[in-house]
Amino acid sequence: MIAADGSTGIFVVLLAPLGATVLSLVPYPGVSRTATRIGALVALGAALVLLATGASGRWGSYLGLDALSDVFLVMVTAIFATSAWYSERYLRGVHRPFLTPQVYYALLGAFAFAMIATLVVTDLGLMWIGIEGTTVASALLVVLERKPTSVEAAWRYTLIASAGLTIALFALLLVYATTGTLDAFALAANRPAVSLPIEMAVALALVGYGTKVGLFPMHTWLPDAHSEAPSPVSALFSGVLLPTALYAFLRVYAILPTPAPGLITDLLVAFGLGTALVGAFLLQRQRSFKRLLAYSSMEVMGIAVVGVALGGVALYGALLLLFAHAFAKSSAFYCAGNVLRAKGTTRIDKIRDLRHGLPRTSAAWLLSAFAVTGAPPFGTFLGELLIVVGAIAAGWYWVALLLVLAILVAFLGVNSQIGRMVFRTAAPEAGATPVGADEGTGIAFLNLAVALAVGVASLPYLSGALRAAAALLGGASP
Amino acid sequence: MDPSNEVVALVGVGILLTALFLQSESFIDPLIRGVALQSLLLGVLLGWLAWTERSPDIAILAGLTVVVRAIVIPYVLRRQIRAFRWRSREVHAANRVTGHALAAVAAAIVAWFVFQQTLASVFPQPGAALPFVLLVQGLLMLATRSNTLVQVIGYLEEENAIVYAGALLAAAFPLFVEIVVFLDVLGVVLVGVILSIQRDVTGTPEEAALEELAG
Repeated sequence: MIAADGSTGIFVVLLAPLGATVLSLVPYPGVSRTATRIGALVALGAALVLLATGASGRWGSYLGLDALSDVFLVMVTAIFATSAWYSERYLRGVHRPFLTPQVYYALLGAFAFAMIATLVVTDLGLMWIGIEGTTVASALLVVLERKPTSVEAAWRYTLIASAGLTIALFALLLVYATTGTLDAFALAANRPAVSLPIEMAVALALVGYGTKVGLFPMHTWLPDAHSEAPSPVSALFSGVLLPTALYAFLRVYAILPTPAPGLITDLLVAFGLGTALVGAFLLQRQRSFKRLLAYSSMEVMGIAVVGVALGGVALYGALLLLFAHAFAKSSAFYCAGNVLRAKGTTRIDKIRDLRHGLPRTSAAWLLSAFAVTGAPPFGTFLGELLIVVGAIAAGWYWVALLLVLAILVAFLGVNSQIGRMVFRTAAPEAGATPVGADEGTGIAFLNLAVALAVGVASLPYLSGALRAAAALLGGASP
Repeated sequence: MDPSNEVVALVGVGILLTALFLQSESFIDPLIRGVALQSLLLGVLLGWLAWTERSPDIAILAGLTVVVRAIVIPYVLRRQIRAFRWRSREVHAANRVTGHALAAVAAAIVAWFVFQQTLASVFPQPGAALPFVLLVQGLLMLATRSNTLVQVIGYLEEENAIVYAGALLAAAFPLFVEIVVFLDVLGVVLVGVILSIQRDVTGTPEEAALEELAG
């Protein structure tokens, strides 16, 4: 039984993936898969209980929770669980994998552990270690399929993300030198007076963590790593790694008063809007469907950053968007994995008539394409709508206009390309789809159902937690 | 000037000079020797700070800097060059050396100016801007070079900048030694694991046309 104050829950959510990681290394067939699945489910259960009980407070010097971490914990553990489930199916189709299943599952667990650790610590330095830990754990996962392009992608990812995080560490040095503490909860409760060094620290944190979030122009690792990683890992990258990096920035951002100084707001709007527009326009010319999804993630993260900058209902919208997008995008990547296994290529122009060979995957992929691009009634639609409404309410009309442009361009680009692969008639010589290629879509539909549910209903516990999380950052509920 | 401050400022300028040298070099062996020298100078500086401030944490940082970034990683990198001659120089680098050197000087001046305008009031120590300038130099190297080994050197330079900044500007930063150990682990992973995978899987990556990653 998990105590209502979260003291047990925080340890369970933290130790379950760690235990799974250690057990995964046992060289006995099936242990790694089972241990990872059980560890992920236990972590998800603990995260749900923490959310339902509204767990908040501190445990010891370095562990703590509030509504913001509760919401992000559910996202991370849920996508970890579905990726752990989908992995078995995906690994079956990988010929000459670079990693054994034991090492793959151990790294998957370590990757999830690093993200979860980032969310349950109160010290900004430990959060930084958690984010850097995600790089160490996930870099080798990118190389699973032993392709030259995968190695190049892993290299770019490690190097660019680490370079960005060095800047974030410099920002933390400035925070510590100015305030004398790195305790995020204490800094948010007793915000220091705004000064040039504090603004500089937040700006550097935006650039540093923004590199890992995939903000333009530091985004160059993102499409490579997302497209070259195995699909279950791509789902974790797009669905929860980018939001976890944004979470780390939000903890630094929260030391500023509300509303934030104009310079910081302008910077956030510029980076967010630039990212959304660049992502939306670049996805139009993609030849690989995994890169298409990666650029779509970039567009969504840009919109969420604008929501954070605007505050008010837009901030609530940003959190809702991140939550719904995590489930929708992971669903899209699982479908992409099925298509890759069935067709042996990620080239959009080589794939036709999926609806006949892969009917269930096609249905889930079309729906997830709608979901990630903010079509009603998915939660992403509500989130993006609130951000646009927030921009109009705050008098940022040109921002609202450009946001709508990015949303429309991304909507048309993603849905037309995926629609073409599903509906375009196949050439007569097209090969038959391998037997069993259309299996495993249940996980994709499950995640889609969550993305839909948060858009059409006020889910018990989640809505309250989202409101409380927005309020912590100075936002308002609709 | 206080003799102690004079030592800190002088060695700091030496570190900055090595950074400018690294930007204008395209042969890999001198680059590795350059970053090893930079790490050694930083180790001396940290040792001096540890002595004057009686700080065991800074003494550990000094030891780590010398052992990992002045000796171990440069040794592994030089073995790579000896084993693979195609790694001894950047591809098509000769025409870009002048541009790199000029960009490095310009970036150093801009970084110095930005630091003085924004942070000098909080950090009055002599040479306080040097770690920030070094950080910018490391970023510039990562951004402008495409050779894998040169990028590793850019990463090492960034790590040197962070250690330098932590010891000089925020000596009591909690968990700083642990963070630096973590960065060193990442450095070893970068150099040891990914370089060997790259060699096994791709052969000569700098010369390969990675068509699929375009766009």
